[in-house]
Amino acid sequence: MTKLHPHTKILLLAIVSCLVILLDSPIALLVCFLVSLCFQASIPPSWRQIRLLILFVGLGTWGLIYSQGIFYNQFPRTVIFTLIHKDVPVIGELTGGIHLYREGLFHGAVQSLRFNTMLTISCFIIWTTQPRDLLLALVKLRVPYSLAFMVTTGLRYIPLIGSEAQTVIRSQRLRGFRYLRLNLFHTISGILNSLRPILTNNIRRATHLSEAVESRAFSPDATHRTSLRELKTRQGDVILITLSLICLLGVIGLKGVYFLYANGLYYASWLRGAYTFAREVL
Amino acid sequence: MGSIEIENLHFTYPSRNTPTLRGIDARVNPKAFILLTGPTGCGKSTLLRTLNGLIPHASGGKLTGNVRVNGTGVSEQPIAVTCQQVGLLFQNPEEQLFCIIVEDEIAFGLENLGLSSHEIDRRIDSALAQVGLAGFRNRQIAALSSGQKQRVALACVCAMQPQILLLDEPTSYLDPQATHDILKIIRELNRKLGITVIVAGHQVNEIAPLCSRVWLMNDGKLVSNLPIDQAFTDLERYSQLGVQVPELAQVAEQLGYSERPLTLNHAAQLFVNSTPDSTQPRSHRDKLSSGLISSNASSTDPTPVPTQTTPSNPDSILAEVQNLSFRYPQTSVDVLKNISFQIKGGEVIAIMGANGSGKTTLLLHLIALLRPSEGQVFVKDQDTRRCKPRHLAGQVGIVFQNPDLLLQASTVSEEVAFGPKNFRLSRQEVEERLEEILLMFDLEILKAEAPYALSRGQRQRTAVAASFSLYPDLLLLDEPTTGQDYYHLQQLMQMLNNTTKAQNRTVIFCTHDARLTLEYASRVLLLHRGELIFDGTPDTAFANPERLEQASLVPPLTMQLQRPQNDKTSSSHENPPPRNR
Repeated sequence: MTKLHPHTKILLLAIVSCLVILLDSPIALLVCFLVSLCFQASIPPSWRQIRLLILFVGLGTWGLIYSQGIFYNQFPRTVIFTLIHKDVPVIGELTGGIHLYREGLFHGAVQSLRFNTMLTISCFIIWTTQPRDLLLALVKLRVPYSLAFMVTTGLRYIPLIGSEAQTVIRSQRLRGFRYLRLNLFHTISGILNSLRPILTNNIRRATHLSEAVESRAFSPDATHRTSLRELKTRQGDVILITLSLICLLGVIGLKGVYFLYANGLYYASWLRGAYTFAREVL
Repeated sequence: MGSIEIENLHFTYPSRNTPTLRGIDARVNPKAFILLTGPTGCGKSTLLRTLNGLIPHASGGKLTGNVRVNGTGVSEQPIAVTCQQVGLLFQNPEEQLFCIIVEDEIAFGLENLGLSSHEIDRRIDSALAQVGLAGFRNRQIAALSSGQKQRVALACVCAMQPQILLLDEPTSYLDPQATHDILKIIRELNRKLGITVIVAGHQVNEIAPLCSRVWLMNDGKLVSNLPIDQAFTDLERYSQLGVQVPELAQVAEQLGYSERPLTLNHAAQLFVNSTPDSTQPRSHRDKLSSGLISSNASSTDPTPVPTQTTPSNPDSILAEVQNLSFRYPQTSVDVLKNISFQIKGGEVIAIMGANGSGKTTLLLHLIALLRPSEGQVFVKDQDTRRCKPRHLAGQVGIVFQNPDLLLQASTVSEEVAFGPKNFRLSRQEVEERLEEILLMFDLEILKAEAPYALSRGQRQRTAVAASFSLYPDLLLLDEPTTGQDYYHLQQLMQMLNNTTKAQNRTVIFCTHDARLTLEYASRVLLLHRGELIFDGTPDTAFANPERLEQASLVPPLTMQLQRPQNDKTSSSHENPPPRNR
């Protein structure tokens, strides 16, 4: 899986993004998420990557379920827990009470499966594709060279920026600064002040980097640019893309006939199995 | 070919009112090897950038005058053409390498030139062989040492097959061994391939013996342009500008010789076979900067020391490291191995060793930013395994190698006052301390300036002042020498030295600079691959060549000169300099 052509990976991401939008059923979305985890497992990821993925998936799931549980505004909705009663002064009176809705939690869970599937596939692509291959792939997809170069170089520097942010926070703490205090203004100004050295340092680095690439004949107009390596499409790429496209077209077809049936536009008795499958599984 | 003509060159950056270059005229002959030196901020880097076309093509700004490379005006042709004639190597390898694999990094420029894959392939192998990295083609850049990274950066430049090579402080991030390796490669490129070389830098001891000419810059002007055998005749000129001069030349001057040796052999022959031409008086400053006398004498320096005093007892143990071993998560190699030592009040300790020997890792343990894998570290009686860095705030201060990451305030004053305010000192106390620190670090004139807009030396001084404003008992400095000129470095170390002596505070700094250690440190810790191979006085440390070699270090040339001639190890300093190109 890791040796897939970057085009295949980008196409896979596009297909999966269409699938998670088209699918509504938690079972189908769960299958998508599990498939994306299989891609991850094929790397195989390091402990650091696993921890990072768990953190992102955990935060995403919690945030979506919790926010949808509270702010769900469709009907019918069933209150399963009251956080703030409507009789509570000010907040209760203003909001009409804050409740947790069963349908909201369910909707949040479905949304989180969509989000997590995309996140997992994106991480798979970033963690298994060398920036240089990604650059070549983007250029072949007719993304302007200067933009593709910026994207891939930016990805390369993300870990470094993270480590610098850590150093800045450490430096502030070692000079007696505490980020978490009751004074919100103090906390916000501390965070804003922390951004200054990170931004300044990055501007400096960007300047040095631009000088380094300019000194090596870089030009945004890459019409005469050649490449040492050529990316090759393998049999595995063809098989994976074919299967993915079949899945996508199948889902579109089934959803389409079900839509026609559900809206009374077209019905065929021999398609009853398809209607049932689309309603129950997709 | 490989000649440069510079005529009446002026340049002003877009955001500035005053010019950075002011009327430079010079000519560089083919195959010349030029040392470009001068104080920090004098315009060395700017001059190099005008020679390869980065200025004005990639910078904007106002450029007048002419730069011609092989007879063609640089501003009249695109950088893509100039960079095939003039290669530029930058200071920090981390900031010029952006690929994952060595091969990709070198191929980048060649692909931009539109060369065929066969030609790119051939040039990559050739460039790697030139820099002594044959076989490194498919290596990951992140896994290389700093010296190897700088050699990869040099290979990137060499692959473009330039006739002129410009190097902007190429060794300031490297240990002495890596510095020696890089300079040796550059010398070979100059002598065997006839590439014209201009090196900007402060490390004159290492670079001067290779040069045919020296350019001295100050305030945007070329104040001296002399062949190497005349360049150091008037050392006073360098001293006035705070620029380091070759140690051996300085010793010769102080002994009254008119000749200026740059290599050990030359110096030994001169001192043994000739008598001094005159007996000249030696200024205190000259003696001090040559390392001939210890910095103890400098306690008469008028630099003020803080009046706030909570001095440690000189015999009290400030920190203790017991059998410390450490390995980073998900790695299998111990970065520190079974290290033990104690730190007392009033010490100035230099931690020395090659790049990657564990110096910074050891510093981070002393401020509880890392916790031992085995063993214990006690700082101010606190076990770092059980305390957090904030528990040591105010007692231990640190300035990282990149001081910019510490500068977060809008003005220098706010930066210095940040720590005392966090400790909720009274307004009067904060103001008193601010005034004292600004005066002490010579920052008064800059107090309303934005810290990030200052020069590198001023930024570092501000960072040290900000850390020092809490009057820590233990101040840790990670590589304070990087990118600093000799004058500013001396100024900083002098001030810290006076303070530690007056108040029994302790300073620990990581460095590769033997001369700085000899002048200011009372104690040296030598690290080699994570092991503490020496703990003692600088004199004893530098007296053992085998131990120094093990730690990839070289002693100051003046110390090497004192040894019997047959003791000397071969180095680039042994090669006689080329003359009068």
